[in-house]
Amino acid sequence: MKEFAVFWGCTIQARFPFLEKSVRTVLEGFGLPYRDIDGFTCCPEKSLVNNVDHGLWTLTAARNMAIVDEKGLDLVSPCTGCVSNLATVKGEIEANPAEKDAVNAMLKGVGRRFSGEAGLSHLVPFFHDKVGLHRIRNTIKKDFKGMRLAVHYGCHMMRPSHALKSDDPLEPQKFDNLLKALGAESVNHTTKLMCCGQGLDRVDQHDNALHMARMKLRELRSLGVDAMVLCCPSCFLQFDNNQFLMEKDGERFGVPVLYFTDLLGLAMGYSPDELGLALHRIDVGPFIEKWRELSSRPSPAELIDEELKKQGAFV
Amino acid sequence: MLETHLDFNLLSKCSNCGACYDICPMCLNADGYDPRAVIKDILEGRAERWLSSESIWQCLECHYCLEMCYQHYGFENAMTAMRLYATKKGVYPQQVKRGWDMFVKTGKLGEPNVHARKRLGLPEPKKSGKDEFLKLLALYREAKCGEHEEERT
Repeated sequence: MKEFAVFWGCTIQARFPFLEKSVRTVLEGFGLPYRDIDGFTCCPEKSLVNNVDHGLWTLTAARNMAIVDEKGLDLVSPCTGCVSNLATVKGEIEANPAEKDAVNAMLKGVGRRFSGEAGLSHLVPFFHDKVGLHRIRNTIKKDFKGMRLAVHYGCHMMRPSHALKSDDPLEPQKFDNLLKALGAESVNHTTKLMCCGQGLDRVDQHDNALHMARMKLRELRSLGVDAMVLCCPSCFLQFDNNQFLMEKDGERFGVPVLYFTDLLGLAMGYSPDELGLALHRIDVGPFIEKWRELSSRPSPAELIDEELKKQGAFV
Repeated sequence: MLETHLDFNLLSKCSNCGACYDICPMCLNADGYDPRAVIKDILEGRAERWLSSESIWQCLECHYCLEMCYQHYGFENAMTAMRLYATKKGVYPQQVKRGWDMFVKTGKLGEPNVHARKRLGLPEPKKSGKDEFLKLLALYREAKCGEHEEERT
C-alpha cells in the first residue's frame, strides 16, 4: 500500500482530539503506512473562505496538496469537509490548465508546485476500497451482531461526485457495507442522507441548526437505534454537542454518536477508554452495555448443540 | 460583479426548473427559503435586496442541487455568488467575520488543543504552514492589487 499523509484538519485537532486518538489507534492497529507531516494549514473551509475570496480558497488548497505531491504520498483525511474541499479545488484546476498555471506561478513564490499526483481519500472509502472488507473481517475480534446502527454519511463524503468519485452521490453504499462487514444492522431511515445542518451554526443561525439536528434525532429515537455512526467532525459537532445542548434544555433523545473508527476500534478489541469514548458528550454507555450483553450470549448454534447433547445425539 | 461569477444563461433555466426543490434540505425544511426567488432577482438586476437576507447564508452547500441538476449547475452557485457579493459590501454574519479574520491571521480555523492532547497521550502536533501561508497571502494580495490597477487603467 502506498504511504499516505493524514490530513487532520482544524476541527478535529482543536475541538475533538479524542477523535484523533480513535483514528490513530485504528490506523496503528491495522499497521497502515500513515505519516504525520509538517506544513498544512486549514484545507480551507469552503463555506467560509470560498464565500469571501475564491482565489485564496483555491490557492490555499493547492498549497496543501502540493506538500503531499512533493513527498510522493497520498492524502487521507478523517474529515469529509477537508477531502471534499481539496478534491473540489483539484478538480477545478486540473480541468483548467490556465488556472493551474496561474496557481503554480503563485506557489512558485513560496517554493511549491501543485502537480495533482497525490490521491485524495476520505477515511471511510479508504477503508472500504484500500483496506478492504476481507481484511477488516479478518482483523476484528468481535463483531456487532444484533446491534442496530444508523449510518450518517455526511454530504461531503461523496459530493460533489465529479470531484470525489468515491461513491454514488445519491445512493451511497460504502459506509453501509463497512457496517455490515462489522456484523451490525444498518437501519434504513428517511433522514439517512439529509444534511446534518451544522453549517447553520457557522452563520449565526443556531436555532435553525438545532431544528435540523432535532429532525434526525427524533426519527432515530423513534426507531430505537443503538447508536448513530458517522465520520465527519462537523456532523459529530451537530449530533453529539447539539444533542447534548438540547438534552440540557429538557428534550430527551439518548442517541449515542460514534465515529467510524470508534466502532472499528471496539471490534478490534480496544477498550472504550483507548478510543476516547468517555469524552463524547452523549453517553456511549448504553450502547457498550447492550453490545457486551449481546456478545456474551451463546450463539444459536451453541444452544442447539447443547440441546442435542442432552438428548444424546453425539454419543 | 455577479456576471463574473455566474452564467446567466444557465441560471435562467434554473429559475424555470426547480427539480432540486424536492431534495434541497433547506427548501424542504426552512420556512421562506426560496432560491428561485433570489435567482429571479439576480436575473432582473435586483439582487441587492437579498444582500442582508438570512436566506443567502442558509444554503448548506451539501451539493444535492448540483447532483440533481440536469445542467450540473445547481442554485448553490447563485447562493455562493450572492455571499461573495454580500461580503464585498461588508454584510456578513459575525461568525463568518470572526472565522475569516482568524483564517487570514493564522491560516487555520483553530489550533490544536495541547493540554487535551497530552492527557490523551497524543504526539506533539506537526508544525503548521502558517508562515508560508502568510507569505503566499501577501503575494496573492499584491498580485490582486496589480490586477485592479490594470482594470482601472
